[in-house]
Amino acid sequence: MKFYVCIKMVPDVNAPLQIKDGKLIQDADRQILNAYDASAVEEALVLKEKHGGEVEVVSIGTSKASETIRKALAMGADKATHIVTEGNGDYDSGSYARILARFFEDKEYDVLSLGKQSQDTDAGLTGSMVAEMLNLPYATNAVGLEAEEGKLIVKRQGDTGQEMIELPTPCAVTCSNDMNEPRIPNLKGIMASKRKPMEQVELSSLGLNEDDLTASTTVLGYEEKPEREAGKKFEGEAGEIAREVAQLLDTEANVI
Amino acid sequence: MSTILTHIAIADGKIKRSSLEVLSHCKQLADQSGHSVEAVVVDANASSFVEGIQKYGASKVYVVEDPIFKNHMNTPLLKALVKVMESANPSVFAFASTEGTKDILGALAANQNAAVLPDVSSFELMDGGVKAKRPVMAAKIISNTEAKGDTVLVSIRSGSYDLAENETSAEVANVDFSMDDSELKATLKEIISASGDTIDLNEAESIVAAGRGVKDEEGQKLISELAEVLNAGIGASRALTEAGVYDPSLQIGQTGKVVSPQLYIAVGISGAIQHVAGMANSKVIVAINKDPDAPIFEIADYGIVGDLYKVLPPFIEEIKKIKN
Ligand SMILES: Cc1cc2nc3c(=O)[nH]c(=O)nc-3n(C[C@H](O)[C@H](O)[C@H](O)COP(=O)(O)OP(=O)(O)OC[C@H]3O[C@@H](n4cnc5c(N)ncnc54)[C@H](O)[C@@H]3O)c2cc1C
Ligand SMILES: Cc1cc2nc3c(=O)[nH]c(=O)nc-3n(C[C@H](O)[C@H](O)[C@H](O)COP(=O)(O)OP(=O)(O)OC[C@H]3O[C@@H](n4cnc5c(N)ncnc54)[C@H](O)[C@@H]3O)c2cc1C
Repeated sequence: MKFYVCIKMVPDVNAPLQIKDGKLIQDADRQILNAYDASAVEEALVLKEKHGGEVEVVSIGTSKASETIRKALAMGADKATHIVTEGNGDYDSGSYARILARFFEDKEYDVLSLGKQSQDTDAGLTGSMVAEMLNLPYATNAVGLEAEEGKLIVKRQGDTGQEMIELPTPCAVTCSNDMNEPRIPNLKGIMASKRKPMEQVELSSLGLNEDDLTASTTVLGYEEKPEREAGKKFEGEAGEIAREVAQLLDTEANVI
Repeated sequence: MSTILTHIAIADGKIKRSSLEVLSHCKQLADQSGHSVEAVVVDANASSFVEGIQKYGASKVYVVEDPIFKNHMNTPLLKALVKVMESANPSVFAFASTEGTKDILGALAANQNAAVLPDVSSFELMDGGVKAKRPVMAAKIISNTEAKGDTVLVSIRSGSYDLAENETSAEVANVDFSMDDSELKATLKEIISASGDTIDLNEAESIVAAGRGVKDEEGQKLISELAEVLNAGIGASRALTEAGVYDPSLQIGQTGKVVSPQLYIAVGISGAIQHVAGMANSKVIVAINKDPDAPIFEIADYGIVGDLYKVLPPFIEEIKKIKN
């Protein structure tokens, strides 16, 4: 099976952040591979190990994104395409989806795999947008994948239960991090990743110009969330504090 | 005058409350701006929900009824929504942010060439589009976003708005729908449902959530007992859904569900940002944790520092007494 996995470099949400004049200030070096994309890479590798085939990763981003791509190669992906952009502040999910759709238009593959959402924005749009643009059958929020001849079997987490969905290939799928525990690259993988092919593609060579990519959504600025104050902390004999809090939930908070 | 269309989601034979929250808000926006608010319901028994929708002020209800909608599948749902959009021609199409919505929102936007703002916590109309607040960076901060275009799709987190009844006699538009099996790109093979009649966490007044500190069956029994006396839904952290202790549908947080009950009791949960992302909007938060420095205490209204195995039995007893 030929897998293409779309991966995104995201700011580490655990890194301290600050908002100044509506702008987000964060250590630009703390960038990681989107956790959902790491799960997508992992699952593609597992299926390749079982059934043979190839795993290629594709990422759109500035030159810095190559670090994230190396990580996926070190995990075991066979090769990579880096679609290079100057900045990425002004694009939205729709812009990225148009770039990806254009890139995949003339490619051959069985499965196009993406993360179910990006850890920083939680947008979760790109996957089904690309599928629609390429007219591919798709499933989102996958928590398990199986491959059969000409088919991908997706276990999808729905609102109340899991759905088993059979997609004919080629198809698209978006992955949850509930699917697996992505492998940590070992030294051998890291060494090997340096020799793996990473092709750089310019937007212009895809026949796209800035007008094609104009975003219909704009981030005007960021603001702090209204802080939740820490309330009262109760320490002491378990029975005593348990009863005290139960009473307060009734008399003070009025919630029971 | 333009139209605000709202999607009414059905789950387990009932209208999802979060859809009515969205409809209530849209009705208010429509009244303020002189727009009209309409609704669409797509289900195997769609027409049976019209009455329930009329209570919340839609002036027209599009009904798409077909056996194919018995279970969620993206291809038929997309086809139905595209059809309704083409006749309603909405300037805004609003959804409750369910897994069903997340499955189709991007595709619908691409199909209709519409702008889209997913998973917002509030939104308002502006000239030529929509302005919204979106929690980002694992809901640590808010991003003020706007979408411009003739059509804007927006999905709203549950619990963002209150219900407001507003009885109307809506016009009902039955939409013809048919779909060949050959058009169905995918096949739904099986549904593995969570155990029976669990409480919908998005609608629960109270939630008892279990984390890694709940180590064994004895702990799970205590969780169930507490949930029972409070008539609460049971939720879980990723540590326990991953371990297979609780069904994945019960996961609360960035990957799981975003909830906002009146009362949230976090038991043996450390309070990682990805968990907090899903529950920080609860009205009252109680945390039970043996580590006094656990981050969950930073957002808890009532923090009980102690071993859950020792705290829960007297806690449950006391609540029973209060309830009687
Ligand atoms: C803190 C922060 C907040 C932001 N908030 C917003 C916002 O509110 N609204 C907005 O429109 N933009 C926002 N952006 C801009 C944002 O960078 C783009 O919208 C985003 O990169 C496009 O992807 P997504 O997050 O929408 O993807 P999603 O739709 O969430 O991503 C799903 C999947 O698509 C694939 N994918 C996404 N991007 C790429 C890529 N570059 N290369 C390869 N595959 C990819 C991955 O598989 C990913 O898992 C924000 C950026 C930051 C840093
Ligand atoms: C992209 C991404 C998405 C994620 N999405 C989610 C999500 O949706 N939901 C989610 O929950 N997590 C999510 N996570 C995982 C999250 O980061 C944490 O790993 C997880 O929430 C930890 O679960 P926990 O608090 O139960 O376990 P731990 O962090 O291990 O905490 C256990 C706590 O129990 C306490 N404890 C132990 N024994 C006792 C006792 N006897 N009595 C009282 N207290 C006790 C300990 O002091 C500790 O604080 C996500 C992570 C990533 C990277």
